[in-house]
Amino acid sequence: MEKFLNRVLNFPWLIMVVILVISALFFKAMTANSHMETNLDKYMPQEHPAFVYSNQAEEWFNINDGIIIAVENKEGIYNSGTLKKVKDLTKALQKMDEIEKEDVTSLYTADNIIGTDDGMDVKAFYKRVPKSEEKLQELQQKVRSNEMIYKRLVSEDEKVTVIIAEIKDDVFSQEFYNNILNLAKSFEGPEILHVAGRPIVEGTMALLGPADMKRMVPIVLVVIILVLLWVMRSFKNTLFTMLVVLFSTVWTFGLMAVVNIPIYAVSTMIPVMLIAIGVADGIHLYSHLDLYLLGHPKATRLEAVRDMIHGMWKPVVMTSVTTAVGFISLLTSEVYPIKYFGLFTAFGVMAAMLFSLVLIPAGVLLFGLPKRKKVVVKEDEERDHIAFKLAENLMRYKYITIIAVALIAVISIIGIGKVWINSSFLEKFEKDSDIVLTDEFINQNFGGTSTLNIILQGKDEDTFKQPAALRLIDEMQDEAEKLAVVGNSFSLADYLKRMNKVMHADSAEFDAIPGSNELVAQYLLLYEMSGDPENLWKVVDYKYNKANVTLQLKSDNSKAINAAIAVVEKFKAPLAAENIEIKYAGSGYKGLVFTDLILEGQIKSLVLSLIIIVVLLSLMFKNFYIGLIGAVPIVITALISFGIMGLMNIPLSTTTALVSSIAIGIGIDYAVHFIERYKIYALKTQDKAITIRETMLHSGRAIIFNAFVVIAGFLVLLASVFPPNRSLGALVSLNMFTSFLGTVTIMFIILYVSNIYFKKK
Amino acid sequence: MKNLKIQSLLAMLFLMLPLFSLGQDKPSGLEIIQNVYNRPEGNNIQSELTMTLINSRGDERVREIKQFSKEFKKVEKKIMFFMAPADVRNTSFMNWSYDEKNKDDDQWIYLPALKKTKRISSDSKSDSFMGSDFTYDDLGDRHPSDDTHKLLREEKLNGEDCYVVESIPKDEEYMYSKTITWIIKDKWIGLKKEFYDEDGEFLKTLSVKKYEQIKGFWIITESEMHNEQKNHTTNMKLQNITIDGGIADNKFTERMMKRGLK
Repeated sequence: MEKFLNRVLNFPWLIMVVILVISALFFKAMTANSHMETNLDKYMPQEHPAFVYSNQAEEWFNINDGIIIAVENKEGIYNSGTLKKVKDLTKALQKMDEIEKEDVTSLYTADNIIGTDDGMDVKAFYKRVPKSEEKLQELQQKVRSNEMIYKRLVSEDEKVTVIIAEIKDDVFSQEFYNNILNLAKSFEGPEILHVAGRPIVEGTMALLGPADMKRMVPIVLVVIILVLLWVMRSFKNTLFTMLVVLFSTVWTFGLMAVVNIPIYAVSTMIPVMLIAIGVADGIHLYSHLDLYLLGHPKATRLEAVRDMIHGMWKPVVMTSVTTAVGFISLLTSEVYPIKYFGLFTAFGVMAAMLFSLVLIPAGVLLFGLPKRKKVVVKEDEERDHIAFKLAENLMRYKYITIIAVALIAVISIIGIGKVWINSSFLEKFEKDSDIVLTDEFINQNFGGTSTLNIILQGKDEDTFKQPAALRLIDEMQDEAEKLAVVGNSFSLADYLKRMNKVMHADSAEFDAIPGSNELVAQYLLLYEMSGDPENLWKVVDYKYNKANVTLQLKSDNSKAINAAIAVVEKFKAPLAAENIEIKYAGSGYKGLVFTDLILEGQIKSLVLSLIIIVVLLSLMFKNFYIGLIGAVPIVITALISFGIMGLMNIPLSTTTALVSSIAIGIGIDYAVHFIERYKIYALKTQDKAITIRETMLHSGRAIIFNAFVVIAGFLVLLASVFPPNRSLGALVSLNMFTSFLGTVTIMFIILYVSNIYFKKK
Repeated sequence: MKNLKIQSLLAMLFLMLPLFSLGQDKPSGLEIIQNVYNRPEGNNIQSELTMTLINSRGDERVREIKQFSKEFKKVEKKIMFFMAPADVRNTSFMNWSYDEKNKDDDQWIYLPALKKTKRISSDSKSDSFMGSDFTYDDLGDRHPSDDTHKLLREEKLNGEDCYVVESIPKDEEYMYSKTITWIIKDKWIGLKKEFYDEDGEFLKTLSVKKYEQIKGFWIITESEMHNEQKNHTTNMKLQNITIDGGIADNKFTERMMKRGLK
């Protein structure tokens, strides 16, 4: 390898040109062929049973996510102006290409089931906008007396009414999103319009996250460049270190474009990983070069580069291979975007390795050694001194460190027990952002902006014409509605109770499930004869053997959904006695399953990569204990990372879970560089005191630079407007810091105590 | 030269002749629809209706109904009894449709499980007929004067010579903005009808599958309505048809509704 590198480095210009040309080609492919994938459904493993079922159920009952437009009039909604707006807006929505006509629900389209002196009628609340005071009051009374509408479509204080437009999964686009917002805006004054609902939340997130990243990444890069300039004190070194990052990113995304794989939201994390990892090699290489030049001020370019390659190729290759393997372990995930993320990041890491080994030396050969002033050397000496002191003090007080680490580990483990998973999209936004405030507003006035669909499946046709089954559904709804988070529920039972009541002169006594199978069937026939039968197919299927119970939730977070599911599961046994099975569907539920899948995959791959890394390190250093010792910083970093999340109540989400990959990628780099240096000095000097001092000076210095650069860069993300990007910044910084600390303290001590590489005296 | 001119003039007249004669024979759109409206169907009719509802997934639900109708002086009365499915057996439905303009139909339903007859309001002729793709209005005879008719063209459909007539309702609030009907010449049977919704979008198609001459009357015995927007279909088949077999006047009462089929 070393020979090969040296031979290649005989042609530094050629290296430069080849790399530039390939990069240009990849860049061209990237600009021509890259596209973002924003459809969240594409992220989910479609063959997973929970998704297959949910998608099927969504088709049975035409379950779609709804865009909720709330029309608020502080004077109350019962005036012809507001009612006309509701009608016009409903019609405008119905005319949009992305929306099916029947999928818009508002006071204008809703059916009013009413009892008359001698029968029942299903009517619209209004067709022509009521003008006279008398007619307006009549409408108000109609709404108040219909529990299927009051507090569902019209708020209790009668100042807000909602229009719900359901849309299919795959029609959402930036353009549609803008059209909806503009449409709502055009209806404002004096009414206030609020737009919410899951499609809006997903849409905003899909747009806001990457947009924020686009804004923040250049700032991150600038900060990293500035810090690099400061620690390396060389423009050239900084330039080449950044070129390594840049080229590896271009190659990675270029390859993605060439093999025609779209950019997923998680893929935007790839540059983050490559910045953190790519910078490391450069720092270590230049740090080695600096130290060599310190000892050999007269050395030529070639001599210096030869020594750099000789001393560093091994740790650079080892760190890169172990890091890449860590990412490749993500292939065990069931989620395709994560598989791709792992695969392409691994490719990027290997590309960064290649550039570090050829581009950086070629740069030195072509553009000369970094200039050093005498003063600078003096400063370095001073710092060396600190490194020596640190090393000695660490060894002197090693038990304090060990106890401290043990304590931190215990606290972290307690914290990990508190970690919870959050599949909420809404909670990714600022508490005072428009989207969250609108959501709160609608949740206050109505049942809730999130839904959980409970799909009941009976064995026989007409199962849901049986009073026993319907009564269980009714009870289940009552139980669920006792939860604070469940605002409302809706099912076939609501239709039957309403009809039973109006057919008995609005007597509250009959606000119950009808007593016989025949009566249920005849009410349903009556409804079909007088109302729009389409509405029934949203709550029950054609053959009456499947039913859809919708719970409206005031939050889309995992705790809320799980609480509702827990209540529903209590009815499992009684429903089973009626030969009815419970299943779930809808985007909220899919989101929950999806998050679980991601985390499960993440934890699996974390464990797997840890094992692989221990094996790899053992093989590389031909010593099993070194494998174990090398894993120490990773374990500590992961423990602290998850521990802090638990203790600070930061929920695990797709982004925060992926950050643990960094823990491995970086943690292993530090460990390998450090151990390699330790091994070299130990074998050379056979003197523990010198070994620890020199290792701390050489490797410790590079590690601290590396940590400092990346932490400074990622702390910039704390200024991001998108909370998930903020937690990303905080967690990457934290992981860098703990990796660094873990390496130079506890791993260092264990290495020292283990006496590996020292012959027993 | 002169000869040539006269010759060509004659030739032109000769060529135009069939056009003139056709123009005289061709009825107006209104006339065609009036002929359909006035096609005799007998004074009273009794039959068994099998209604099959088919949703977009191809699931089917079948309802069997026995129905009686009779033409009175100023009112047409109709009574129907469900035979199947079992859970709605003997549920009955009665409709009185008045000739008088602007007078709404009277409708009653009897639910045996409730043992009560209820009036159901009928101001909504756009309501679905028993959950089918037919509205009450599609089944009844819409008076020709309610629409403006225009003969679009003549063409062959299913081997029959047809007039194609476009009808646009005079009432702008009506549930359809336009219908187009294919009418068999000289039989005055609508063979096919296309419906456009209130926004002018294509909504559904009615296709007549079978018509028979019974006792000299042309009776449609099988028809199918396919709703394009909902992808839902309703098939209606008439069997055991008796025309002018005599139905007692007192068949059409609430008492008879309660009695049901024996």
